[in-house]
Amino acid sequence: MRRQNQTSNSKIDIVNVIENKLKDRVQVQLGQLGKAAIITNNGLHRNVLKAMVDADEKTAITAITGLDLGTNLGVLYHIRTSNGFFTIRAEVPKDNPKIKTVTDIIPGAVFHELEVSDLFGVVFEGNELQGHFVLSEYWPEGIYPLRKDVKASEIKLNPQPQEEKQPEAGRVVKIIIGPQHPALLEPEKFAVTVDGETVTKVEPRIGYVHRGIEKAAESRTYLQDVYLVERICGICNTIHACDFVECVEKILKTEVPPRAKYLRVIALELNRLHSHLLTLGHAGLEIGYETLFQYFWRDREPIMNLIELTSGNRVYSSLMTVGGVRRDLRDSDIPTIKTTLVDLRKKLPFYRQIYENEPSIRARMQNVGMLKREDALKLCVVGPVARGSGVNIDVRKDEPYEAYGEIPFKEIVYTEGDTWARMNVRMDEVEESINIIEYAIDHLPTGPFRVKAPRVVPVGEAVNRVEAPRGELFCYVKSNGTAFPERVKVRTPTYANIPAFLKTAIGENIADIPPNFVSLDPCFSCTDR
Amino acid sequence: MIDFDLILRILIFPGFTFILLLTLFCDWVERKIDARLQNRVGPMVAGPGGLFQPLADFVKLLTKEDIEPRNVKKVIFNFAPLIAFTIMVFAICFLPIDGASVLSTTGFNGDLIVILTFSTIASFLLFLSGWASCNPYSTIGSARVLTQFLGYDIPIFMLALTPAFIAGSLSIFAIASAQTIPYILLAPYAFVLFMIAMQAELEKGPFDVPDAESEVVGGLETEYTGAKLAFLHLTRDVQVVFGAALVVELFLGGPHGPVFFGLPAFWYSL
Amino acid sequence: MSGTITWARVKSPWVLHFNSGACNGCDIEIVALLTPKYDVERFGVKLEPSPRHADVLLVTGCVTQQCAERLKRVYDQMPQPKFVVAIGACACSGGVFAGNYNVVGGVDKVIPVTAYIPGCPPRPEAILDGVVKLLNALSPPKPKKLPKQAKQPVMPAQDAKAEVAKQAAETPQEVKPIVEEAKPDVKQ
Repeated sequence: MRRQNQTSNSKIDIVNVIENKLKDRVQVQLGQLGKAAIITNNGLHRNVLKAMVDADEKTAITAITGLDLGTNLGVLYHIRTSNGFFTIRAEVPKDNPKIKTVTDIIPGAVFHELEVSDLFGVVFEGNELQGHFVLSEYWPEGIYPLRKDVKASEIKLNPQPQEEKQPEAGRVVKIIIGPQHPALLEPEKFAVTVDGETVTKVEPRIGYVHRGIEKAAESRTYLQDVYLVERICGICNTIHACDFVECVEKILKTEVPPRAKYLRVIALELNRLHSHLLTLGHAGLEIGYETLFQYFWRDREPIMNLIELTSGNRVYSSLMTVGGVRRDLRDSDIPTIKTTLVDLRKKLPFYRQIYENEPSIRARMQNVGMLKREDALKLCVVGPVARGSGVNIDVRKDEPYEAYGEIPFKEIVYTEGDTWARMNVRMDEVEESINIIEYAIDHLPTGPFRVKAPRVVPVGEAVNRVEAPRGELFCYVKSNGTAFPERVKVRTPTYANIPAFLKTAIGENIADIPPNFVSLDPCFSCTDR
Repeated sequence: MIDFDLILRILIFPGFTFILLLTLFCDWVERKIDARLQNRVGPMVAGPGGLFQPLADFVKLLTKEDIEPRNVKKVIFNFAPLIAFTIMVFAICFLPIDGASVLSTTGFNGDLIVILTFSTIASFLLFLSGWASCNPYSTIGSARVLTQFLGYDIPIFMLALTPAFIAGSLSIFAIASAQTIPYILLAPYAFVLFMIAMQAELEKGPFDVPDAESEVVGGLETEYTGAKLAFLHLTRDVQVVFGAALVVELFLGGPHGPVFFGLPAFWYSL
Repeated sequence: MSGTITWARVKSPWVLHFNSGACNGCDIEIVALLTPKYDVERFGVKLEPSPRHADVLLVTGCVTQQCAERLKRVYDQMPQPKFVVAIGACACSGGVFAGNYNVVGGVDKVIPVTAYIPGCPPRPEAILDGVVKLLNALSPPKPKKLPKQAKQPVMPAQDAKAEVAKQAAETPQEVKPIVEEAKPDVKQ
């Protein structure tokens, strides 16, 4: 069942709700860090969050950012609601960094709190970190890498790894999936506890791809950071770059020329096309349907050729820069783009018909990995995973950026909530992307494609969200007036979706884990940064 | 007195060498067809059109270092692949290929049951080889192999008895010789069901669950390297040849029949 | 016999792909090798699931601290003869991430590497080229026969002795080395 064009419920005014409930105990700054920033003292962040959750069911945590503010550690809660994007600021002193957890109000905040604990040393009472979450087991105790006083070259690793929990004896068997596994392109470990063939628990261990990008970004200039942030993920690279660049432009208050906005949209949608085709093919590989994988990737190659045509490189297009795009689209390339897209559009009914009618796909994907709408809302999932469960969030529609406000397109929502629905969402989004690119090419404005932006960014901070192929991608940049950023925080969509996988895998067969896993479109290089 | 003719029959045709070459050829056919269905070309470099690719794989595996993990059950781990391969080849030796089988000219009454039993023992040894590996993936993979072949063994036995009933004898020779009209026309349902059951026994698609790489890594072969892995692979391929040969003998008239030997092999490759 | 073995090894390299902390760019290009456009199965290359079956280990990614130990373990599980190919700028030296706190930087700091394929990410054609070069290095080509050279003039024996004496007189006998002794590095 599809619902299209759900308008968001913007009748609730969150700012009013907070001001009514909490009166003078918190300070509301409109227009800062989203729609409004709410400054709280210790403990009151829970009250604010509870007020938001009670007022709007679509309240969800996008990210929790840690900051090193000298004597204090800042904790920023970034919340998205149907009325806009808000940030709650809280601070804790460094010598006693304790703050109450919010996981009982919003269960989807678990991973975010654990990460801030691991990297900054903040203790969330009620959600304490056992061992390490993102860092390796060789990491020495008591050193928090993202604090300003820690230098990367001075860290000595602990030669003795911390004890990992031993599996319990008995009928249950603990299978470790990963780090090296043919099903996964990337290393990560899932300890799956099975009883016979039914899964009872899944425990993840992420951090194998943690390269310390956020810390590295603080020692490189903004332009160098564009290339660094782009390499968070090879699949959604353009979108990472676009997110970061838009955030910096918000601090600079630079207005990007209209032609650049349309060119950015074309690059972003090409990226979305190749990413979705990749996932759809990968799903075929996971369910053993290798021919489907080969066909999808064969049809993905023309898109890679287009990316190479427009930017010069097959994977890392590096088109984004602060102030616009680096290269213009030549008029001689437009016919090639159009013919390739027309060819791809002709092939889509064939694939749709496979997904609708092929019994092996239906058997392995329908009713597998059920995620009900309430769970999707509570766990704060994003992207096709949310849209496959009936939650209609799409940053391109909720908070249009670039030229998305001027381009008509449909928001794809399915209500079944299983693996099959999520794959169908992606299939339909492929068609929508083709429509968007064609519209953008036809309505490409003339003018400059880049404005010169200053290299030194004034003091300020900004948040930005874009819609990556996997969901909502969030970036927070804080600048201190020098050529180097003070803090760069990126929250990737897969990071928000993994708790959903942990929940949907329980009660299923082992054989259902790969299709379930692929349907949430995991990208662990995004997750670990 | 040494019977040179017998030795030649055992070693070259229709014995060991012929079976080995046929197995490698069937593997090549399978890889080429798979590739073509996926819009690719398949092996091309080893030999003309990639014909020697399976041979290259086999020789390469034989020359790899042999690793024995510490916790395996040594005897089973080391000998099960080789014994499984030997038993399968031995089973094929009973099938009349060019009018007379390798080992005897007329066979004996009941050799149909004997070779089906050999096939079961070989499958069981495959399962044991995975079980002895002490690796969680091998355990799950071999458990799946056991479930699959146990499930389909009984239907194969019963369906193989259909031509026996029509011919009135349990000897393969008698069944093959009695087919003036090939039994595929007299018992078409049995033929179709036998093909399906054989497909499941051989773990070919759509019954290739034990081979699902995405869940169980290598399945029962995960811990094997070198020569033992070569023999495991070869056992699987020889089972395909065995299944094809059995179908020809039972339903298509054997050496006297009109249809040539390769057609079922071609089918199983798919 | 060894010719056959080398032939078999060259014609049938089974690869295992290991991601030691990469951004996925190189990994996608490796998986793209299996697709119809590049079709690496022509060369007999098969993507194997288990390290015990593979001959060539394709490593991508700057090695993160957590992956270093696993990489070593996977390498040890592979049977001889084995080869390692480092794919991508990150695997060669750490790439953009060299110097970060969680990155070892470069595969050759953990396991010995046979071939390096640079690029960010290297195109599938480049990876294919690197793999083929590795295979060709295993079976070295036969030395070509040198073409016939023109006859060179040969000096008669007593003229050669005079020539040597003349050269000895011209060069100074004792040559003082102008090389300074390397000062020991002062550690910070």
